Amino acid sequence: MTIPADGAASPAQATRAGPAARPAKTASIAARLFGSAALWTVAMLLIGGVTLSSYYTRSVERGFDQRLHVYLKTLVGAVAAGAFDKDDPGSFGEPRFELPLSGWYWQITRLDRDPPEATTSKSLFEEQLPRLAELGVEETLVGTREGYALGPESQRLRVVERIIDLGTDGRFLISIAGAAGEIDEDIQNFNVALLVSFLLLGLGLVTTTGFQVRFGLRPLAGMRAQLAEVRSGSRARLDGAFPEEIAPLVAELNGLLESNREIVERARTHVGNLAHGLKTPLSVIANEADTGEGAFAQKVREQAVLMRRQIDHHLERARLSAGVAFAGETTPVQPAVEALARTMAKIHRDRDLAIDVAVSDEGLRFRGERQDFEEMVGNLVDNACKWASARVAISVAPLAPAAAGGRSALRVVVDDDGPGLTEAQRAEVLARGKRLDESKPGSGLGLAIVADLARVYGGGFALSEAPEGGLRCDLTLPAV
Amino acid sequence: MRLLVVEDDPDLNRQITAALEEAGYAVDRAYDGEEGHFLGDTEPYDAIVLDIGLPKKDGISVLEQWRRDGRTAPVLILTARDRWSDKVQGFDAGADDYVAKPFHMEEVLARLRALLRRATGHASSELLCGPVRLDTRAGRVTLDGNAIKLTSHEYRLLAYLMHHQGRVVSRTELVEHMYDQDFDRDSNTIEVFVGRLRKKLGSDLIQTVRGLGYVLASPGGA
Repeated sequence: MTIPADGAASPAQATRAGPAARPAKTASIAARLFGSAALWTVAMLLIGGVTLSSYYTRSVERGFDQRLHVYLKTLVGAVAAGAFDKDDPGSFGEPRFELPLSGWYWQITRLDRDPPEATTSKSLFEEQLPRLAELGVEETLVGTREGYALGPESQRLRVVERIIDLGTDGRFLISIAGAAGEIDEDIQNFNVALLVSFLLLGLGLVTTTGFQVRFGLRPLAGMRAQLAEVRSGSRARLDGAFPEEIAPLVAELNGLLESNREIVERARTHVGNLAHGLKTPLSVIANEADTGEGAFAQKVREQAVLMRRQIDHHLERARLSAGVAFAGETTPVQPAVEALARTMAKIHRDRDLAIDVAVSDEGLRFRGERQDFEEMVGNLVDNACKWASARVAISVAPLAPAAAGGRSALRVVVDDDGPGLTEAQRAEVLARGKRLDESKPGSGLGLAIVADLARVYGGGFALSEAPEGGLRCDLTLPAV
Repeated sequence: MRLLVVEDDPDLNRQITAALEEAGYAVDRAYDGEEGHFLGDTEPYDAIVLDIGLPKKDGISVLEQWRRDGRTAPVLILTARDRWSDKVQGFDAGADDYVAKPFHMEEVLARLRALLRRATGHASSELLCGPVRLDTRAGRVTLDGNAIKLTSHEYRLLAYLMHHQGRVVSRTELVEHMYDQDFDRDSNTIEVFVGRLRKKLGSDLIQTVRGLGYVLASPGGA
């Protein structure tokens, strides 16, 4: 099979590959939380800013208008009392009324004359103020008009005006104008300050939201890390306290893991039962054929041997494939090794061998199934016993994490004082089913099975020469 | 030598029993754990062939109970499960040896011979008593190198006495170890067989200890 250049896996593979597979892309929870919170924050700040700004604008205008009204009232009072001196009206305490084009102006227009007579402040020179009534500004409840207008030299002005009717003495429109630049500057300063402070506030809120999201979702990250450990086989279930929002999810996941384990266990048991169940009838067939003569009996004998090999092969495959499913199990090393040594002493009792066991740490545990541990060490010790002349030494010790890629591991060393193997033979013996000496009983799979199982557990297996000249088997396995 | 075969598969049980009988043993058979346990508990077997996967009561439990109750007959376990963990379990329960299915009958016979020899303290598969030589592997008896023809009962009686040389063996013990349980036992027939053996192998080989039984004495020895 060729793999496409872009490295895309087939759908079936992708589904199993787990994290790499994303069937339909959905925004992450963090992005949703963060996005919605940020959107809400920005909207609220915008509305608040606009409201504050317009409120401030009105309040500044009102303050400005109040000042203009003071002058308006003074002028109205003077006109009403007839005390107004056209030629020397005075400045009403505001020198800018006399400064040319200062932006501050007053104007009294007698409306009952045609054309209307206008008297203006000195600052206006020959110009006239625009009339708010003509610009469409509505009259207020107290009979005044307030608004913006363009004055001489296109000055933006704030104007208040009022009409007073003195009956036979005349009908006057009195207008006061101030430079709107003062208001605008004030409002602009306020808006800049508002914008800066709201920007800072928004930034702060968004940052806080980011932290909140991360903090709030931290249990999910913990859960993910634990799930990754389950997948890698170093953990059987999710442990620890989870917040009530994801606790049900964790419980469901644990249930799923448990049922998965049960299914695998059941399937494995079935395979085992089937294979083992075949062995008894196979014994009967083989024994029956052994007592018979002729080509038929010979054929049956041959086929029985083939069937036995098939059964062994598939049993072993079932065992190897089940390795990862039994994550979380641990095996105390010392009792297992001692039981094996006891068994070996019985099996090889006629050989009068000394089997020494040295486990440096009583609490040492293998991270995996006891059956597999016993299968690996059992094969090594049995092999050593077959070849040893007088002594077999088993030693187990924890391995420094630095030497085992940062994970805790243990090392099983089995030495014998037999003839040993040359380097070439050592490489050969690990090849599938290879037997160097047909004179010793055994299927020849022993050491290869050890190597396979060690690989399933992520451990290592190596052969070298023992100090006493025989074979040294060096097995590295994950530990607790 | 009297053996017990506990195996639930009737064909396999028949094959093992037939092979053992042919090799000169008296054989009782049981087809489930309870029956097997009862027989092993009440009859004095010289060795037992025990299957692990038995109905009613599994072989490991049967074996453990025998050992708890002080039954010391050597036990050869037969099982389809041949991982080391299974073997460890079997040996820890008190088994003396282990044969994995499927097996060749020769292997079972060889292991049994070794168990019987070991249980009676003999190092070799050939037992010697003066001029008499008994080859347990071939089931042959020679006197001064000449082959002697024995019936199966004569062979069993001689084999039992040769395994327990120098010890007085009672008639009851001989009966218990020579016949399977279905046999119509009569201790008088023992005397008949002893008489025939004396005729074939010399009159001073088997000595009668009055009121106690028989002892095999090597003429050259004590």
